[in-house]
Amino acid sequence: MNKTHSLGNYCAASLLLLSLTNFSHAQQVDDDGFKNPLQNLKFNQHAGQHEFERAALDALHISDPLEQWNRRVYHFNYRFDQWVFLPVVKGYTKVTPHFLRKGVSNFFSNLGEIPTLANSLLQLKGHRAMETTARILFNTTFGLAGVWDPATKMGLAKNNEDFGQTLGYYGVPHGPYLMLPLLGPSNVRDTGGLVADYTLDFSVNWLNVAKESERHPEIFALKIVDQRYITKLRYGQLNSPFEYEKIRYVYTKSRELKIAE
Amino acid sequence: MLTRLLTPLCFVLSSLCALSFNALAKPVPADYQFPLTNAFEATIAGTPSIFRPQLPDDADIKQRDYSLRLRPEREFTLPSNFWPVKTFRYRLAEQSGPAPLIFIIAGTGAHYSSSTMEYLKKLFYGAGFHVAQISSPTAYDFMVGASPYATPGYSPQDARDLYSVMQAIKKQQDNLEVTEWHLTGYSLGGLQAAFVSHLDEQEQAFNFKRVLLINPPVNLYASIKNLSSLVNTQAVDSNDHRTFYELLMDKLTRYFNQKGHFDFNEAVLFDFQNSKQKLSDNQLAMLIGSAFRFASADINFTSDLINRRGIITPAQQKINDGTSLTPFFKRALLCDFDCYIEQQLLPFWKVHFKEQKLALESPTTEDFESLSQASSLYALADYLSTTSKIGVMHNADDIILGTGDLGFLKENFAERLTLYPYGGHLGNLDYRDNGADILEFFHE
Repeated sequence: MNKTHSLGNYCAASLLLLSLTNFSHAQQVDDDGFKNPLQNLKFNQHAGQHEFERAALDALHISDPLEQWNRRVYHFNYRFDQWVFLPVVKGYTKVTPHFLRKGVSNFFSNLGEIPTLANSLLQLKGHRAMETTARILFNTTFGLAGVWDPATKMGLAKNNEDFGQTLGYYGVPHGPYLMLPLLGPSNVRDTGGLVADYTLDFSVNWLNVAKESERHPEIFALKIVDQRYITKLRYGQLNSPFEYEKIRYVYTKSRELKIAE
Repeated sequence: MLTRLLTPLCFVLSSLCALSFNALAKPVPADYQFPLTNAFEATIAGTPSIFRPQLPDDADIKQRDYSLRLRPEREFTLPSNFWPVKTFRYRLAEQSGPAPLIFIIAGTGAHYSSSTMEYLKKLFYGAGFHVAQISSPTAYDFMVGASPYATPGYSPQDARDLYSVMQAIKKQQDNLEVTEWHLTGYSLGGLQAAFVSHLDEQEQAFNFKRVLLINPPVNLYASIKNLSSLVNTQAVDSNDHRTFYELLMDKLTRYFNQKGHFDFNEAVLFDFQNSKQKLSDNQLAMLIGSAFRFASADINFTSDLINRRGIITPAQQKINDGTSLTPFFKRALLCDFDCYIEQQLLPFWKVHFKEQKLALESPTTEDFESLSQASSLYALADYLSTTSKIGVMHNADDIILGTGDLGFLKENFAERLTLYPYGGHLGNLDYRDNGADILEFFHE
């Protein structure tokens, strides 16, 4: 029994090594069984090539003329998050069951499909617009005003398009980086987009929520708490003295990716 | 032709490999089927979720972050933008009744709440342990909030810092009913766990019952050399004008364009590596090397500023919440870990720890050798080979190991070494077999 096992082991190991030889280089295993994975890497011959330094320094070039102000806002947001937002979110998760929070998130997410639809149309993305329309229809009717999300279960993936992306799609550059109070990382273009989407929300007044929020600010408050609840970012999460720079880079690049797709 | 030449060689090698696996180390069952056999992919991607063990839900864990004021003087001496880390924080998950407690030490630069730490917490909590999660002594928060010298890299001192933190935690949690104490750590945290255990043999504050080192460096400075070398791979064609990150962005853009949908999750990661845009080993290596360089930059900057050495940040520089740190970030990025050792660690070590002979002379290669020796597992060889409480888990294709390291582990740990054929660096940590082996070690 044991013998067949070790034989199997042996064959498997040999087969694996054989299959590796097809890639023209064998992995040498030494007497200790060490496979030394670095042995097949190709290293730069010239010591002066410094590819990492070139790439890293280049990545730090992001337009940020308001850096002093932005950094102060970053610290303000960080403190506000620790002392107000996160304790509130913690209380919210304590007093509400999971399915209720899910319902709240779905409800606001359904409202957020309106800007997605409008911006998909503006970018002439027909398929996406149709998908989003179908989602709105199914979720608002079968999903009881969006509290439940049957559309995703039916295989209709959620898309996210906003006016900042539409502007980017038509070639508007992102402009200087901005750290918005409470809202977090942004830039001049995306802040403009935010205002446009907000105005749109208000004028469409889907399910009468925008107008009703004026009379009942608690709806607006719930929306903000939900927003913080579903946003995974935690200040300090990167545990780096250079978190500001890293967030700036990641935000800028992820927006570029979203615009390109 | 080449294949024919290599085939006999392969048979010899594979039999050697089979032999050596069975020679001393505890044999891993033949049906070990960790799915990623590429060391670089495994290191970056970890285990696909269907192969991970069942874990308790966060909502079912009674846990909280606590803070300790360990370096009150820094509240006045450090710039205000350090405010979030001036008090030291750790995370504790407690069982409802008496239970064993395990300390977990994070790897290089990692925070107590990093994903690997959260995984280990859930694994141990599910098995009935109280769990205390501690940031790495090389992490920003630990250096500022806990470490008296804030110059990590000399293992005996790092262990002493960790030991003080653990004692402070024990004191703060004196209502917690602890039946016995255990210790583990991964990567650099694994090496440090060995030193902490050694220290505890003398001080006896915990008298650890079991200590597990998960993928530790054996020769610390050989591991650093490996990791530093990874940024010198041919990741970008020499006639390509793009930088490595631009190339990555282009690949991602093309990939998402093809998919028609933007989303970042685990499935995307594996799907990406199966697409036309997949990264080569050289590029994966570059990515790992970059992460290490960024961690080194944080250490460089933080150590220099706390000690006001004036190497990265001018000694008189005024810093407040609005000050741009980008120029210092750039300077810190240009200085790799070797450069940190040469400029900060070695001179510091000479003054504080070297036999006080000629401390004022500039450091020599000999100094580097003794620092390296004293910080590596070699320094503990006698202890490791005689104590039965310490075990080690490692992978035959771990990128932080060098030639001879596995030999050292086999010789000193014998059947207390569990050696897996694959996994790269920690890639198989969350594989279900590994999870079961880890728990079994503590239940033996």
